Amino acid sequence: MNHKWRNLTLVLTFTITTIAALAQQTFDRSKIPPPGKPPALRVPAWTKSTLANGAEFIVSEKHDLPLVSFAITFLGGAYQTENPARRGVGSLTASMMNEGTKSRDGEALSSALQLLGSSINVNVGGEGGSIGFQSTTSKFPQTLDILADMLVNPSFPAEALERLRAQRLVALTQAKDQPSSIASRVFPGILYGRAHPFGQNVTEESLKAITRDDVIAFHKAFFQPLRALVTVVGDVNSTSVKATIEKALSAWPKGGEPARFAYPALPSPHPATIFLVDKPGAAQSTFAIGNPGPPRSTPDYYALQVMNTMLGGMFQSRLNANIREEKGYSYGVSSSFAFGKGPGAFRSGGDIVSAKSDVALVEFMKELRGIGGSRPITDEELATAKDSLIQRLPGTFGSVQSVNNAIVTLWTQGLPDNYYQQYAAKITEVRKEDVVRVAKQYIDLDHLTIVIVGDRASIEGPLKATGIAPIALADIEGNLK
Amino acid sequence: MRKQAFVSVFLVVVSLAAITLAQSRSSTIKIPFETYTLPNGLTVILAPDSATPTVAVTAWYHVGSKDEMPGRTGFAHLFEHVMFTGAGHTPYGTHDRLTEGVGGSNNGTTSNDRTVYFETVPANYLESALWLEADRMGFLLDTLDIGKLDAQRDVVKNERRQSVDNQPYGLAGEILSGAIYPPSHPYSWPVIGSMKDLTAASEEDVKNFFRVYYAPNNAFLSIAGDFKVADAKTWVLKYFGGIPRGKPITRPSIPQVTLTTETRLVFEDRVQVPRLYIVWPTVGEKSDDRFALSVLDAITAGPRTTRLTKALVYDQQAATSVGTSQDSNEDTGEWQLTITPRPGHSLTELEAAADALLDKLKTEGPTKEEIQRATAGLEFSFVSNLQSNLGKAMTLADGAGIHKNPGYFQTEYQKMLAVTPADVKRVANKYLTKGRVVLSIVPTGKLDQASKPSESKPFRRVEQ
Repeated sequence: MNHKWRNLTLVLTFTITTIAALAQQTFDRSKIPPPGKPPALRVPAWTKSTLANGAEFIVSEKHDLPLVSFAITFLGGAYQTENPARRGVGSLTASMMNEGTKSRDGEALSSALQLLGSSINVNVGGEGGSIGFQSTTSKFPQTLDILADMLVNPSFPAEALERLRAQRLVALTQAKDQPSSIASRVFPGILYGRAHPFGQNVTEESLKAITRDDVIAFHKAFFQPLRALVTVVGDVNSTSVKATIEKALSAWPKGGEPARFAYPALPSPHPATIFLVDKPGAAQSTFAIGNPGPPRSTPDYYALQVMNTMLGGMFQSRLNANIREEKGYSYGVSSSFAFGKGPGAFRSGGDIVSAKSDVALVEFMKELRGIGGSRPITDEELATAKDSLIQRLPGTFGSVQSVNNAIVTLWTQGLPDNYYQQYAAKITEVRKEDVVRVAKQYIDLDHLTIVIVGDRASIEGPLKATGIAPIALADIEGNLK
Repeated sequence: MRKQAFVSVFLVVVSLAAITLAQSRSSTIKIPFETYTLPNGLTVILAPDSATPTVAVTAWYHVGSKDEMPGRTGFAHLFEHVMFTGAGHTPYGTHDRLTEGVGGSNNGTTSNDRTVYFETVPANYLESALWLEADRMGFLLDTLDIGKLDAQRDVVKNERRQSVDNQPYGLAGEILSGAIYPPSHPYSWPVIGSMKDLTAASEEDVKNFFRVYYAPNNAFLSIAGDFKVADAKTWVLKYFGGIPRGKPITRPSIPQVTLTTETRLVFEDRVQVPRLYIVWPTVGEKSDDRFALSVLDAITAGPRTTRLTKALVYDQQAATSVGTSQDSNEDTGEWQLTITPRPGHSLTELEAAADALLDKLKTEGPTKEEIQRATAGLEFSFVSNLQSNLGKAMTLADGAGIHKNPGYFQTEYQKMLAVTPADVKRVANKYLTKGRVVLSIVPTGKLDQASKPSESKPFRRVEQ
């Protein structure tokens, strides 16, 4: 019998003896076991400096597993860099960086990364972009060298551009079959208008207009160290890893300039309107209800987080508890604020069984009005929302990737280094009257955009009969008919 | 699945866990755990790790849609929803309050073979999490009524609408399963069930199902994260120890399926782009051939060096995407190929091209380097999965539930790494035969866009 088995026997003996005792014991099962002492908030430490090429640099050591997360994050994204007539060039450029370098073709790149057990992700989003990877500690230097090659020496083969363009055109066609994709294109289009970058979708025309020169120009303007933060988190030595990174990025010269976030004015708001997009025969109606919201820098951020957690941020939040759990109209409804540099949207919604579209809309309106004061907030509701937000934080630094994201968020949103340490106090400060105030201020009931994608033949009449708002018909691109 | 928000994250964790483990740095690719069984039959697995101040609790029940009867399909999954409606000492809402409401999360998932409930909570809420799981294992029926059942029935019907009926290509899975397996086969019906059967489920059905399958002797409780083993043992015993053992369970007999001929189907859907699906019956978790079939999948489609992706998407540029998968259930499995064409290329052309490429692979076998590329990422995937307490708890529970060994992941990893080119060639020839199902999904009114339209039988949906 080896050591392990002896231990097991001891365990079993202990178990059986104790069971005999406990089986007799009665206790009150209806009493909720109280929580133990809350775990301390352990925010990872990090060190800041600057690389020779001017990029900011942050390193955070984490040694529990042999893993590394590496990222170069760029501030400013498609909305700051793209020509609106060429929407999609940023995302296409990101994909093109996987298609080969001056010394490795696309297949050689793919093969090398597979053999390292890693993959390098490049993306360009609305307000930022990144290139990065996760790897085991031992494969970190080799993967970093490949990243540097992709960043500095992309070859942008013309045939690859045509292949990617064709794939995207098919994806765009397929998106028009999917009610939720349609809603995600129509909703911002109506909310922000075509003159605002948030309202501009990638279209067939914009995709077809993009040339290889556009891709080269976007790459040159965007992937520059003076708007970049380089982060490395994990099983590395803070000092030596900086030298490794300087060496790998030595061919990436100083350049670029910090992004400016200047957005055009929002279109003047329209009276609350239902924008109905016909999807004949649809089993469900997709709802997207909301308005432009505040930027992440708003002093009301914490009150908005508490408010939204109560309204539609959790399973037992008001919207889901009512529309899914009590009424059974949906598999799930929710709400959120898209916080960023610009006026990201407040959006609530979900997929609603077609026959209940009208009554579900009535309930949505009831809850949006309720959180603004007509349905008082209970003490328990407020406490649960705060507990949920505050007590989630200690568990969010579990992986090298999540620590990296936590650091990058502070940089992109201009938040202080002690943000996480202060978070609980800021949430705790929020009072019921703050919740009601921000709900009223940021959910504009008189000017809501209500996008509903569904079976017009069966839902238009009932929606109209609710009297909630006039109905305007829109096509799947969001153009009014 | 009770909630949708968590689905994608969860699937990533689990799919990594399903193929992974490693050994080159043996100190980092283990999950230290201990396991024991209570007198009532409950298997307990404890994996302490204080790296992150959370604990994941997984209650894994060996029951899935294969345990249902025809006419009551979707029952195991409907029941999963009922399990969140409160129990004898935990009124509705308590579960969410003590998980999501304290900064944690919860969800459930049902497959053909098993139903899993899980929560991640801050480390100081482990005792209440165990109390919650024990209450619904022991006392669900105390408060169950038809009202609760009806409310969740409506939610599940909406889940079906959202994930199947209102989803482009959403019926593909059900059509394929129905064509591969004979109607009485327990894997022939979808986990989510039919609308008709969901309507038919009665309160008595729910009660009987609970009494048979939700007993401690059919359950595996796996706990991973920041806790003291002695505390966990005390609480597990206190809350679960008094739940009585259930009756012995009769498992359905699940025959292996082989097809001798090709079945060709075409289905008209509200889509604008046609798509081709080809499925071969293979093996499940209990057969070692699944490892070579997984490697075959990894060298066939995915990165641009893989055979079909390289030829069809890159060289011929006839497809926008190609996907393959070896799906292993407990008792049987399927190997599936999916191709989406580029405009100007027909499904007929793509089927012929794919067959030619697979024939070549069957004749010559893969190279050593292809195998290397397919398995080189396993170590990273495994170590990365260790960062999640939930990922660890699930990996251990799956091993215990299906293979009677929480540490089965180590065997699995070694077997994946041991796959040779000859193994892959052998399974390709053994399973990718003429006996298969070929399904074309085409835009409504465009039956001529099917692959070999004259040989493909239109699939008519029975109104459910």
